[in-house]
Amino acid sequence: MLARPRLLVIIVLGVLLIAAALTPMLGGIYAVKFATRVLVLAIFVVSLDLLIGITGLVSFGHAMFFALGAYALYFISPESEGANALIAFPAAMLLAGLAALAIGSVAVLTRGFYFIMVTLAFGQMLFSLFFDTKIAGGSDGAYIYIKPVISLFGFQLFDLEDRNTFYFVCLALLVAAYLGLLLLVRSPFGRVLQGIHWNEGRLSALGFNTYVYKLMSFVIAAAIAGLAGVLYATIDGFIAPELFGWRQSGIAIMMVVLGGAGTLFGPILGALSFSVLEEILKTEGFVGPIASYWSMALGFILIAAVLGAPRGIAGWLQGQRGDRESSSAPGLLAAPKREGGRGTGKLLETEGLSKVFGGLIAVQDVTLRFAPNQVHGIIGPNGAGKTTLINLLTGAMRSSSGRMRLDGEDMTAWSQHAIAQHGIARSYQRTNIILPFTARENCLIAAQAHHPQALRFSRRRYAAAEEAEAAYALNAVGLDARVDTVASHLSHGEQRQLEIAMLIASGAKLLILDEPLGGMGPEETGRVTALLRDLAANHTVLLVEHDMDAIFAVADTLTVLVEGRLLAHGTPQEIRRNPEVLKAYLGRFGETESAA
Amino acid sequence: MELVLIQILNGLQYGLLIFLAASGLTLVFGILGIINLSHGSFYMLGAYLSLTLTSLTGDIFLTLLLGVPLAFLFGMLVEWLFVRHLYGRDHLQQVLLTFALILIFNDLQRMIWGTRPHSVPIPSYLKASIQLSDVLSYPVYRLAVAGVCVVLVFCMIYVIQYTRIGQMIRAGESNREMVEVLGVDSRLLYRFVFAAGVALAAAAGTIAAPIDSVYPGIGEPVLITSFVVVVIGGIGSIKGAFFGALLIGLADAFGKVFLPEFASVMVYALMAAVLVVRPGGLFGRV
Repeated sequence: MLARPRLLVIIVLGVLLIAAALTPMLGGIYAVKFATRVLVLAIFVVSLDLLIGITGLVSFGHAMFFALGAYALYFISPESEGANALIAFPAAMLLAGLAALAIGSVAVLTRGFYFIMVTLAFGQMLFSLFFDTKIAGGSDGAYIYIKPVISLFGFQLFDLEDRNTFYFVCLALLVAAYLGLLLLVRSPFGRVLQGIHWNEGRLSALGFNTYVYKLMSFVIAAAIAGLAGVLYATIDGFIAPELFGWRQSGIAIMMVVLGGAGTLFGPILGALSFSVLEEILKTEGFVGPIASYWSMALGFILIAAVLGAPRGIAGWLQGQRGDRESSSAPGLLAAPKREGGRGTGKLLETEGLSKVFGGLIAVQDVTLRFAPNQVHGIIGPNGAGKTTLINLLTGAMRSSSGRMRLDGEDMTAWSQHAIAQHGIARSYQRTNIILPFTARENCLIAAQAHHPQALRFSRRRYAAAEEAEAAYALNAVGLDARVDTVASHLSHGEQRQLEIAMLIASGAKLLILDEPLGGMGPEETGRVTALLRDLAANHTVLLVEHDMDAIFAVADTLTVLVEGRLLAHGTPQEIRRNPEVLKAYLGRFGETESAA
Repeated sequence: MELVLIQILNGLQYGLLIFLAASGLTLVFGILGIINLSHGSFYMLGAYLSLTLTSLTGDIFLTLLLGVPLAFLFGMLVEWLFVRHLYGRDHLQQVLLTFALILIFNDLQRMIWGTRPHSVPIPSYLKASIQLSDVLSYPVYRLAVAGVCVVLVFCMIYVIQYTRIGQMIRAGESNREMVEVLGVDSRLLYRFVFAAGVALAAAAGTIAAPIDSVYPGIGEPVLITSFVVVVIGGIGSIKGAFFGALLIGLADAFGKVFLPEFASVMVYALMAAVLVVRPGGLFGRV
C-alpha cells in the first residue's frame, strides 16, 4: 500500500513548494507563465496517477477530460465579462466527471491492453467530434477573451487576469489536489483501489464490486483532470480540439512514469522535469542544432529512462518498501480469542449442478448438501471436477444447469461478489493474496469486504473493528510475528496461511479451501488441520485436498467425485468401506503404488 | 442506388487496406505480447517509400516489390534495436517506449522528406474510371488497390495455414506461452513476426499513397483506426481483424455520405457497442 512519503521526499517537496512560492518574486513574466503551466500539468498528471499507478488502469485517453474542462470554460464564459471561477471551475469538473461516468461505464468493462486501446479510441472520438463539427469553432478552436474572476455575492475578490494571482491559485489547487488524493488513496476506498491494481480477482472473490470501484476512480481522476483543463484554458485563453489528442495523453503518461507511477508525488516531479527538459531541448542556446529536432532527442532520452529506471525519479527518492515500516498494529498477543458463539456456519445445497465446456462435461448432475458447522472434504483424482465445482459454488463460473441454495435461498444467479458478500469465501489452489501488501493489510482489506459500507472514504468508523478482526485472524493462523511483513517476502507455507487468515478476517461463514495443505511440511499441516477443526465451531468448511491422511482425519463428511460425477457421499468410515470408491479411486491409488 | 454501390466498394477497399495495417498490429500483440503504438509510423514509412521509389522506378507496383522487403528489413532493425527489450515488460513500458518511437520516427521523416505534402502519380494504365451511370464513375486504381489487398490476404492465409512459421503463429494466437515451450527459437520468430507486421503496414501505406497525398503524420489516423479494428475483432485474432476492418470500412464509407460530421464518431460508437456486448471483441479469447 502507498506509504506515507519518506522524510527525504517531504524535504524535496517542501523545497519545491518554497521555490514555487518565491517564483513570482524572483522570476520574470516568462518564468511565472512557465511555472503556471508546470503547476497545471502537475495537477493533470497527479490525477492520471490515480488511474495508472494506484488503480492500475493505464488510460491513454486522459487528455479528453482535461480538454473537456478547458472547453467548459469556453461554454460558460459570457461574451462581455469574465466567468466566475467559483462556478466555472466546479462546472468543468462536473462536465469531465459526467463524461467519465458515461465513457468509463464502457471502458472499465475491459482490462489490460483493451483498456489502453479503448480509452485511446474514446479520446479520438471526442477529438473528431470537436474537430469535424462546428462546436466551439470546430477545427480552428476558439478564444476566451476575458479571464475568469473569483467573486462571492457579487463582490470581486480576485481577478485571474493578474498573472501572479492566478499562479498562486494554481499552486494552492495543486497542493489541494495532491493532499486530497493522498488522503483518498490511504482511505479504505483507496486500499481497495490498490488491491484491485495488484490482484483484482482476489478482491472480487472477497466480495468487492470491482467494477464500481474502478469506475469511481475513473470519474474522480477525470474530474481533477477537468480542473487542470479549465486552469489551462485560463492561461492562454485559447482552446483547440488538439487538446483531446492522444499525443497529450501520451505525454501525460510519460510524465507519470518519468516521475514514478503509483507514488502521487512522483508525477509532480515528472511534470516539472519533463517541462524543463523539453524547454532545454527546444532552446538553441543550450543544445545547438539539435533544437530543431528536439522531439527526437526527447524520444531517445525517454527510451533510456524507460529501460534504465522503470520506477522513475520517485523510485530512488522513496527507496524499496521495507518490512516493518509501520508497526502501528495493536498488541497482537492480547487479541481476543473469540468464543464459538459468533454466529454459525451456512448451509449450502446443490441440486443437479452441471458444467459443460464444449464437449467436456466437467461437473455432471451433482446434488449435495453441506450441513453447517462441519468440515466437508471433497476428494477425487485429478480432473475429477473438484476445482470446477468450487468455481461454480463461488460464482467464478456460471453453471450450465442445476441450482444452488445458501441457507435455503436460491443463489444460482448471483454474481461472484454477491456470493462473497453473502458469506462464502474461498482460497485457491495457487496462493491468491495481494503480494505487495503486508500480511496485516491483506487481512484488513478482507475484513473491510464484509462491513456494511465497504465503499467508504472515512477511516475512523470501522477501523478499530477491522484491526481487531485482522489481528484475530493472523493470530489464529499463527502469523503474529509476521504481521508487518510484505506478503511477497513470506515463505510459501506462510502465504497459504495468510490466505486462510484473509478468509477468517473476511467474516465469511462458509469457507471453501482448495488444497490448503499443498506444499506444507508435516508441522504446518498439523497446525492447519487443527485450525480447520476450530473453525468448524462457527463456520462451514469445504475442503478439497489430496493429502488423504489429513482429510480423512479432519473431515466430518467426504464427497468423492470421479470424472465430474458424484460417486459417493458420507462419513469417512462409510467412504473407507464403499466398494465403488475403493475400485474407482483408492483402488487405483493402490495399484499405482504397487506398480511403482 | 449507384451511390450505395460506390460506398460499398469504397468501404470494402478502405476496409481491406485497414486490415493490412491492423493485421500487423494484432499479430505483434498475439505473438509478441507487445502493444505497438508506433505501428502507424510504418504505414507512414510505406507512404514515403512510395513517394521516393515511384519517382525512381516510375511505377507503383515496382515500388511495392522493392519497398516491402525494405520495410521488412527496417522492421527487423527496429525489433533488434528497441522492441526486443520490451518482451515480458508491463504494458506501461511498452506504451511509453513505442510512443517515444513515434516522436523519433516523426522527426526522422521531417529530416528526410520535409513537411510539405506530396502526391504520388497513379500509373497511366490505371488512370481510367469505370462509368457506373451518367454522373457516377469509379476509379480503376481503387479497384486495383482492393485487388492487391486481396492477393496479400491470400498470401497471408497461405503462410499462416500451410507453412511451419504459420503453424507457430497459429499456436501463438491461441496460447502465447505455448510457443515458447515448443522448442522454437522464439527470438527469430518474434523478429520475423514483427518485421512482417511492419511490411504489411508499409504495403498498405505504399499502395494507398496515390489515392491521398503523402504528408507528415499520415500514419496516425491509420493507427487509431487499426486499434479500433483490433478491439472490435478481439486482440490477437486475425480473423477478427479481417471482419472488424470490413465493418469499420463500411461504417466509415456510409457515415461519410449520410452523416458527414459524425462519420468518425460512428466508428467509435460501433466499437463501444461491440464492447458492451462482448468485452473481449468479436473473436477474442477472454
